[in-house]
Amino acid sequence: MATIKAGNISKGSYILFKGTPHLVTKTEFVSPGKGSAFVRTKLKNIITMNTIEFTFKSPEPIEDVDVQSREMQFLYQDGEEVVFMDPRTYEQLAVPMSLVEDKVGYLTPELACYVLIYQDKPIGVRVPKNVKLKVTVAEDATAGNRVNAPKKPVTLETGISIQAPLFVKPGDMLSIDTETGQYVSRVN
Amino acid sequence: MKTWQKLRAQPELLDRYLIREQVADGIRHHFKAKQFHEVETPLLVAYPGTEPFLEVFSTELQVTDGQTKPAFLITSPEFALKKLLAAGVGNLFQICHVFRNGEGLSSRHNAEFTMIEWYRVQADYRDVMKDCEELLVDLLTQVKGLDKDRDELILTYQGRAYDLTPPWPRLSVAQAFEQYAGISTADLLDTKKLLRIGQKKGYKVDSQTTWEQIYHQIFLNEIETKLAQSHQPTIIYDYPVSQAALSRRKKDDPRWAERFEFYLAGLELGNAFSELTDPVEQEARIKADLALRQKLGKKEYGLDQDFIAALKLGMPESAGIAVGIDRLVMLFADTPSINDTLFFPGVEVFDLVG
Repeated sequence: MATIKAGNISKGSYILFKGTPHLVTKTEFVSPGKGSAFVRTKLKNIITMNTIEFTFKSPEPIEDVDVQSREMQFLYQDGEEVVFMDPRTYEQLAVPMSLVEDKVGYLTPELACYVLIYQDKPIGVRVPKNVKLKVTVAEDATAGNRVNAPKKPVTLETGISIQAPLFVKPGDMLSIDTETGQYVSRVN
Repeated sequence: MKTWQKLRAQPELLDRYLIREQVADGIRHHFKAKQFHEVETPLLVAYPGTEPFLEVFSTELQVTDGQTKPAFLITSPEFALKKLLAAGVGNLFQICHVFRNGEGLSSRHNAEFTMIEWYRVQADYRDVMKDCEELLVDLLTQVKGLDKDRDELILTYQGRAYDLTPPWPRLSVAQAFEQYAGISTADLLDTKKLLRIGQKKGYKVDSQTTWEQIYHQIFLNEIETKLAQSHQPTIIYDYPVSQAALSRRKKDDPRWAERFEFYLAGLELGNAFSELTDPVEQEARIKADLALRQKLGKKEYGLDQDFIAALKLGMPESAGIAVGIDRLVMLFADTPSINDTLFFPGVEVFDLVG
């Protein structure tokens, strides 16, 4: 565990706050004009998943939490659990669905992800920045206004729906940005 | 994609950027109707404001004979405007860009931003509170096309309705600490007691922690968050005298200074003072500020002797305020970030990640 200054914590890092590890989901510099510097943060408690706001003094020391990230493959989803496997040891690990949240629609068998582990417990999952998914449903494109790069909804193999260009057909493989949920390209 | 390119692809976005023009027009119309003069003063100066915690942009002026002089971009036009008050211009305002370095770029900060400062002579901060109420009502009715006398004065921002009808609730700093943080005035103004209370509340306190840091940390965590939940603007007034470098002390209670800020939707929109006109006290406070700047490792520069000279000649009793126009535009355009209302947000100008 290392100590860093609150002014240097960044979005996406883990810190110990009131004895519990929290994910930093937002940081913003605050200077009350006639005062010293502060950092307004949004922190997500990784145990309870509650989000709170807290403003730190910028020079205040914060404990950085040691979170391990372990490369694992997605196996299957079972009710409220998502199961991953270590491809070297074949060890399986069940991650609560609440930790995978909106990323579950990007998971296909054998997809390599990073499972974040704190004190031997999974606390989150990082999926690749881009994933490839097959189109299962796409209506025929309608011609018309092409000036503003028109889009249409398509359904992907995992059941999620995204906006894609009009030329996309069922059976196409698409590259999807997992941070924004947006279409990147066709990768047939 | 940069904003100008996005506008070419999605012309329907333009409306939200044009709100800025309406807000600027509305401000000018408001103050001209009140017979204020609009003035221009330099943005590039030899002696910028001395707030110890603000960092300036510095450059140099090259004179034709090869000499150079240090030059700075203003953090506020305050010194120049007060010289004009001493010169006898009367009620006045300036709309200009101001520059603050080292604050990072975020949804609420840009290093270069637009400010209006206005000053009223023979007035105190209570008159400026009324100006703020009237200005926001005027802007609301103009931008949203409402009728001041018939319609409800409701501003909808990010799905929440705010009632701008004056008078807005007013809360002194002492009342705010008492009501929202459970801290009495005696405890608030006593360094040892406040640090002990801060520690008990779970804030980090060590030998380096100052009164000012805990004061602000409690304000930001326990008071500002409550103001953000209000469905009306709130005026917070009478600040501890240490938190008001350019404002006058209250005549009946010198522990407090006649300063106020007003908040709406969790945003601090403006900072006002009954202006300090005593040249001796002003010079002492500026020197203390400059010494603190040195200690904090901020850019160093001299004291604006002209400003002190103006106070010595006699600046009329006056009150003034600085209001950030970008935040007003963001409220009226109903966008979550000031960057959504700027054609060229700093993050795009400098190719930073938003």
